[in-house]
Amino acid sequence: MNIIDLAVNTITQGLIYALLSYAVYITYKILDFPDLTVDGSFPLGAAITAVLLTNNVNPYLTLLVALAFGALAGLVTGFIHVRLNIRALLAGIITMTGLFSINLQIAGSNLIVDRTIDTIFTSGIFNVLFGNIPLIYRKLVITLIIALAFKLILDLYFKTKNGLLLRAVGDNDLVVTMLAKDKGTVKIIGLTIANALVALSGSIVCQEQRSFSSTMGTGQVVFGLATVIMGTTIFKRFGFVKGTTAVLVGSIVYKACIQVALTLGLPANLLKLVTSILFLVILVYGNYQQKTTKVVSKNARA
Amino acid sequence: MKKGLLTLLTISLLATILTGCSKDSIPKIGISQYGEHASLDNCREGFIQGLEKSGLVEGEDFVIDYQNAGFDDSINTQIAQTFASNNVDLMVGIATPSATALYAATEEKDIPVIFTAVTDPVEAKLDKGNVTGTSDKLPIDAQLELIRAMQPDAKTIGIAYTTSEPNSISAIAEYKEKAPNYGFTIEAIGITQQSEVTQAVDTLISKDVDAFSNLTDNNVVGVLPAILDKTNAASIPIYGSEIEQVKLGCVAAAGIDYIELGIRTGEMAAKVLTGKAKATDLPYETIKDYHIYTNTNALEKLNITLPESIKEDTVPVELD
Repeated sequence: MNIIDLAVNTITQGLIYALLSYAVYITYKILDFPDLTVDGSFPLGAAITAVLLTNNVNPYLTLLVALAFGALAGLVTGFIHVRLNIRALLAGIITMTGLFSINLQIAGSNLIVDRTIDTIFTSGIFNVLFGNIPLIYRKLVITLIIALAFKLILDLYFKTKNGLLLRAVGDNDLVVTMLAKDKGTVKIIGLTIANALVALSGSIVCQEQRSFSSTMGTGQVVFGLATVIMGTTIFKRFGFVKGTTAVLVGSIVYKACIQVALTLGLPANLLKLVTSILFLVILVYGNYQQKTTKVVSKNARA
Repeated sequence: MKKGLLTLLTISLLATILTGCSKDSIPKIGISQYGEHASLDNCREGFIQGLEKSGLVEGEDFVIDYQNAGFDDSINTQIAQTFASNNVDLMVGIATPSATALYAATEEKDIPVIFTAVTDPVEAKLDKGNVTGTSDKLPIDAQLELIRAMQPDAKTIGIAYTTSEPNSISAIAEYKEKAPNYGFTIEAIGITQQSEVTQAVDTLISKDVDAFSNLTDNNVVGVLPAILDKTNAASIPIYGSEIEQVKLGCVAAAGIDYIELGIRTGEMAAKVLTGKAKATDLPYETIKDYHIYTNTNALEKLNITLPESIKEDTVPVELD
């Protein structure tokens, strides 16, 4: 039993999937757009990565290619929604359904990346910097760098004019129209960025577990929503904590819940039930915390 | 709030300590099964029998940590990493996704992985390294031979399969390749999810197929009773790939016995666990022996008489 290793693995998983959580944060929380494309763009990133890696393409380059294809998927959903006037949910479903077949075309139903093939965890700049530490710690360091880098990039982006427009579309799209900007274009940009991140997450998952499976996208939207809601609930009280930070923590907490359920050694079929009870406890606790704070602050004023 | 997170962390730490440390001296086997499913469960049962057959006693010579991922790929990964972090002495993967996840989690670790119910270990890159096990490749020649013997006039065989299941895809390819040798053509319809299976079956019935064959496709087997309703109404026999399908109402099946497959795997695992052999040196095995199972009730309903040529070899299935 090695608790440190367990924690390291769990946090690593949380960090990789945090990229997906950022994406759902952008679409669901900022744009108020329930984007189901995620279930298709996540395995899309992995499919492209698996094919490129098995063809000996540089693993860092595959990250960029996956990012680009994810962006394209988001662009398609955005175009269907904004230009063809299809409702948000349906637009996502259309792209997601199409991507299922496209993913099968790209990489088949399953594709394994052999151990002899280098990934971002075993080659290039990361390997030069951290090559001498054991693989599971190396994975933690590398995923931490990636997750934090994209968090910072997004935080900076939200402060730019374009980023502010993005937030305005979700809050009050009249403002955007009054500024003589096309809110449709802003939505498309948001969806493009989000799905680029989702595919990047899929790409890193594929490199980390050395496999692609066409069914790996199932349930990723639900995961993303759960982490966004958990993250924002946990940090509701702390206004200064950025949304990206909150969902990053949400993602790690989600993976930790599964880990706890696994480690408790309960009958295997109860895993999901235990996980969902843990979620509920965290959410109720978050709400309870918020209520007590309100009462305290009222009393303080009185 | 910080306190809350701390509490959660403490609970998880305590849980890990409580479940982990008490049995350190006894070798621990981590079994990861992709999901609950009759044939996979049989594999696991057989596996434990195989260990016991080799003289090992549960609780004394080994303890088992059994997890199943409920067909969820990200949980599947976490299970594998949990076993790796816990430094179990041996990992067992039941079905391809579990086996590949376990093997990936042992990168830079020296934990042997034993797999079972993997159709194509070469494709899954499980043919070299500290990993070995058993393949459950379908005896497709035997299946075609069986259908030919039972229905001498049949021309087309209808098969519904899931396009995302690697086992089904390789089986369909082999079916199409070998069918002409037995004078058959294959009508295959690929589906993406379970809700589409009955539609595929309706389409195949409308194409006047003479027989149906079931692979070990999870989605298709999962709704077998609904398929049987339709094919019985159309008086078209269905052949299966394992005993559980015959129990549900298929007329006959040529297939391997998953309990036997599990036992064979358990015996291999016992060798590795006791240090008699290394997984690196043991080649994976494909079970060559298959059985023919028949369902007398279903045969009667469809007015099929068992030809003498195969009668002796068959195992009639007891229906409860």
